[in-house]
Amino acid sequence: LQCQLYPPQRAFQASAVLRRVFDEQKKEPLASSSQHQFNSHPADHQPEQERQGHCPSYTGQGGQESEDYESEEQLQHRILTAALEFVPEHGWTAEAIAEGAKTLGLSVAAAGMFHSDGSDLILHFVSECNTKLSELLEQEQKLVQLGEAEKKPTDQFLKDAVEARLRMLIPYIEKWPQALSILLLPRNIPSSLNLLTSMIDDIWQYAGDQSTDFNWYTRRAVLTGIYNTTELVMLQDSSPDFDETWRFLENRVADAMSMGNAADQVRSTGEAVVQGLMGAAVTVSNV
Amino acid sequence: AALCPCRAVLALRGGVLRALCGSVRGLAAGTQTHFGFQTVTEEERREKINQVFESVAKKYDVMNDSMTLGIHRVWKDILVHKMNPSPGTLLLDVAGGTGDIAFRFINYVRSARERQLQRKLRSHQNLSWQEISESYQEEQCKPLGDSQVVVCDINKEMLKVGKQKAQYLGYSEGLSWVLGNAEELPFDDDKFDVYTIAFGIRNVTRIDLALQEAYRVLKPGGRFLCLEFSHVSNPVISRLYDLYSFQVIPVLGEVIAGDWKSYQYLVESIRRFPPQEELKAMIEDAGFFKVDYRNLNLGIVAIHSGFKL
Repeated sequence: LQCQLYPPQRAFQASAVLRRVFDEQKKEPLASSSQHQFNSHPADHQPEQERQGHCPSYTGQGGQESEDYESEEQLQHRILTAALEFVPEHGWTAEAIAEGAKTLGLSVAAAGMFHSDGSDLILHFVSECNTKLSELLEQEQKLVQLGEAEKKPTDQFLKDAVEARLRMLIPYIEKWPQALSILLLPRNIPSSLNLLTSMIDDIWQYAGDQSTDFNWYTRRAVLTGIYNTTELVMLQDSSPDFDETWRFLENRVADAMSMGNAADQVRSTGEAVVQGLMGAAVTVSNV
Repeated sequence: AALCPCRAVLALRGGVLRALCGSVRGLAAGTQTHFGFQTVTEEERREKINQVFESVAKKYDVMNDSMTLGIHRVWKDILVHKMNPSPGTLLLDVAGGTGDIAFRFINYVRSARERQLQRKLRSHQNLSWQEISESYQEEQCKPLGDSQVVVCDINKEMLKVGKQKAQYLGYSEGLSWVLGNAEELPFDDDKFDVYTIAFGIRNVTRIDLALQEAYRVLKPGGRFLCLEFSHVSNPVISRLYDLYSFQVIPVLGEVIAGDWKSYQYLVESIRRFPPQEELKAMIEDAGFFKVDYRNLNLGIVAIHSGFKL
């Protein structure tokens, strides 16, 4: 029974969802770290244990206090992660997001926080995959530094990295064409391009690329081409465990390597030809 | 209909006490507020607004069309489109009088539901005949997919017009009509998915109370949507708009509805209503998150949206 004589200040307003969630988070601080493992089963159903992912404790909303409240971005992150489970059934749509919100105990109207074409869900997924790829490559690098594993030759490294990244699409492969078409909408191109280029950059960095000349661009352009074409091949590949796709990938990487050699050869041939011509010109002028 | 006032005696007591507090406060402090460009007490304002809507109720839709040249339909369409309700949504339309938003909601949900069922059938191509006939039956029984809309209004006349319209247009399922005050809703906490108030919040005497009630009845994750006339910042358009509002609209009111004063009140109340940023701050004060607004027609109308997080 409250006779409210003043509008409650925002600082004291009990947020209906955000704080409550963090209370649950406090109860299981150890469980959340295990959620980092990538699992390829979208139907991995753990409705009680929310997929917390990365929840740093420094955020608050509106510049107000503290560590007890998760921010709106974190909540959105959780909703999108929960929504991925429903993608095979509903596609990359606002409905999948609404179902995800329902599993977190929120109203379906919470899907209104995101854009209605489902692009937020796709971008979230792509960004998560890229993060997982980085972690994978990081771990591999650590093993190599510790001397527990051999350093792979560049073509093998690139092939493995692209394969690992593409394998993350397998659970959603049926609806992936829809996702690609949404990512190509003009509104989404800046963000999707950004994610793509940072992923390619990451792969090259871990591959040990330290070039500072024009090679930097050509390497990234080549790998982007390999990745995109392999992705398209994967979409219509029906062989067991996508063998055809990985073979296609191997061939493309081999092509790229030999193209590098061919480029060197062309350059040296070109230089030789130019020198020959210069010599001929000097000879002619001396006659 | 199951969503109608189902709170226990406790709530009623609470409601009555709050109303007493309100009126005592009013009498004691003589809180002045505005009615158009006049200054009146809160009680007088409520009474006057009640009279305004009683008199305009029958011609409300006709006047809307003539004043806005039919553009109000587009605004309401945009509101429902922004809401993007999925089947199974519970909507509370406050100050929903003649039911415009409610009918649009029902249409939207119905077509969304059809698309959903079609997609389900298409993806299950190898169902047995029994399963297929069962899904067709489901389509017959649940064309709205459990979505419901409750239209709440403080004015009996407006609700009457709304019910007649519903009957005439053939809307019956998933629709309820409740008499209630936006400052004190007769519903339980955490009930609704979406709360809308289209062209109504301007007439509420204590906007902060209405916003608090909105927060209360929404489920966690629920959405607050407000469609209202707002502030035009462009000086050229603003002058034309003022000219149109003060010279043309009251005349239309007299000619079509025989009621100059009500439409004079309407245009004055638009000018007295807080502009976009101020309303946004008030919504945030009530506890909503991710509050933002979108101007339609350069600010003549604005849609504010907030989430209960």
